[in-house]
Amino acid sequence: MWSNVKLLLPATLLLSAASVLAQDSAIPPGAVNINLPPNCPLSLTSLTMADSRATARGAALALDLHMSATLRNNGANRVHGVTLRVVAQEVTLGGKGSVTYPSLNVGPGETFQVRIDMQLMRPSQVSGGPLVQVDVDGVLFQDLSFFGPDRLNSRRIMTACEMEAQRDREHFKRVLAQGGKPALQREMLSSLARQSEVSQLAVTVKRTGRAVTTAATTAPERSENFAFLQFPDSPVKPLSGTAQIAGSEAHAPLIEVRNQGSKAVKYVEMGWIVSDPSGKQYMAGSLPSADSDLVLPPGQNARLQQQSTLNFSVKGQPVNVQKMVGFVSQVEFADGKIWVPNRQNLENAMLLKVLPPSAEEQRLTDLYRRRGLEALAAELGKF
Amino acid sequence: MKHPSQEILALQASGDLGPVARWKTARHLKGCPSCRDEVAAYAEMREILPELSQIPEVPWNRIAAEMRANIHLGLVAGACVRENAAQASPLSVPLFGAARAMLAFGGVLAVLVAGFVLQHAAPVSAAEAVVQATSKGVQRRVGDQTFGLMNSTGARDVTYSVNAQGSMGARYVDPETGNVTMTKVYVE
Repeated sequence: MWSNVKLLLPATLLLSAASVLAQDSAIPPGAVNINLPPNCPLSLTSLTMADSRATARGAALALDLHMSATLRNNGANRVHGVTLRVVAQEVTLGGKGSVTYPSLNVGPGETFQVRIDMQLMRPSQVSGGPLVQVDVDGVLFQDLSFFGPDRLNSRRIMTACEMEAQRDREHFKRVLAQGGKPALQREMLSSLARQSEVSQLAVTVKRTGRAVTTAATTAPERSENFAFLQFPDSPVKPLSGTAQIAGSEAHAPLIEVRNQGSKAVKYVEMGWIVSDPSGKQYMAGSLPSADSDLVLPPGQNARLQQQSTLNFSVKGQPVNVQKMVGFVSQVEFADGKIWVPNRQNLENAMLLKVLPPSAEEQRLTDLYRRRGLEALAAELGKF
Repeated sequence: MKHPSQEILALQASGDLGPVARWKTARHLKGCPSCRDEVAAYAEMREILPELSQIPEVPWNRIAAEMRANIHLGLVAGACVRENAAQASPLSVPLFGAARAMLAFGGVLAVLVAGFVLQHAAPVSAAEAVVQATSKGVQRRVGDQTFGLMNSTGARDVTYSVNAQGSMGARYVDPETGNVTMTKVYVE
């Protein structure tokens, strides 16, 4: 009760002051509630909110929050990933997000820093309640054991990241072992060049049907079939798929898949590539299985279907979707194990042009760019 | 230094000032970083809230019906006054008699009510939540309320990803900590 009052008070004062004075005011740390349960393997050692400001703009209040927290690993296992759930006034605003830190390597007793940068805009007359609530959604350890409520499927997300990280570290370690540092350097330069060539779409997502537009701008809707990239070792095979396309908008994607492996599957995610009229390809997004209780036994089929609408553009110009390609990007088995495509699958010419690197490859190339080849080789040696 | 008002800065950001005022404000902005920041913030807010630039739906039919009713009421009241005036000597009617005073009061009240209704019209907001990437991060927007997880200052090579289930994420290497950071914002 008292903790709620302590949280309510600064937030109320802040909002009132900002709306009355119509100028900048600092956001006190009490406006953010970081909730770590007593049995959590992480503890908060410090929290700063430097440069966090609330600014009244007309009838709205703009909040810029810059949180920097130091967390300590109090467990006996090495931490390899953390997901924090971030909620802003759940009832009135409904803003929900997560911040995940994959590819960590934090030993027992060690600390690490996390940063959360947020921007909220809300009516200034609304007052009360903590502005932001931060909870631990999950902690992934080196042995792939997990702690946390997992409300945002962070176990699966971080485990998939860890599988990709192991795959890519092994690849770079093999390159280093076979060709030495010059070969590793060539591989890094090649990866950086590839990353710079990947074109990104600007996408907006809505949960439901097509946007209502004027008759003059409404493109006729058509049903477009997916073509598929097949990976020989994939436990799931895509069979057929469609999406409703109208100009730059894609709606209601549907893909039918078959479990061609020997283990039951409980989650499938497809990568979704679109191409524009000139043939340029972009990674549009991913299509997950919607059913949280999905159990797909060996030899059975399932449908991945979403009712959402995606709108694509590049530099403010709509991208008219001409063709679509799908590929299996992630499979979770009933026993919690995760399958991700191997490096050979990813070296497919089409995927190389459109897929961003894994989180680990991004981290390692960034390390190479900032600290050089020796630091990269030393980092690979830690795993 | 005398700074332009917030209204002027907001109009400057939206390009809605007249040529002279725009020139004057632009001249001031050249030498005033704080006002430049304000204009940039307004411009950013316009980017965040595109529906601000759209014309809200005005209940024209209701307003027209109210105006017709007010005009009708005025004509009826005027007719009553004329009838009374024709029957009575001009000198026998006081300048602020009850009928005139009520008519005047009613007119003022109608203007005040109309002003209040128009001033506090219900905000038009998109009922549906949309998630999109902006230049600074990923944002969920419902009407004039936004929730965004921003990329850390100095983050480069940000990769955005979309999930057809209704979320959008950004991934980058935090330049300060060296850790990969993955933010995700959900439509619901």
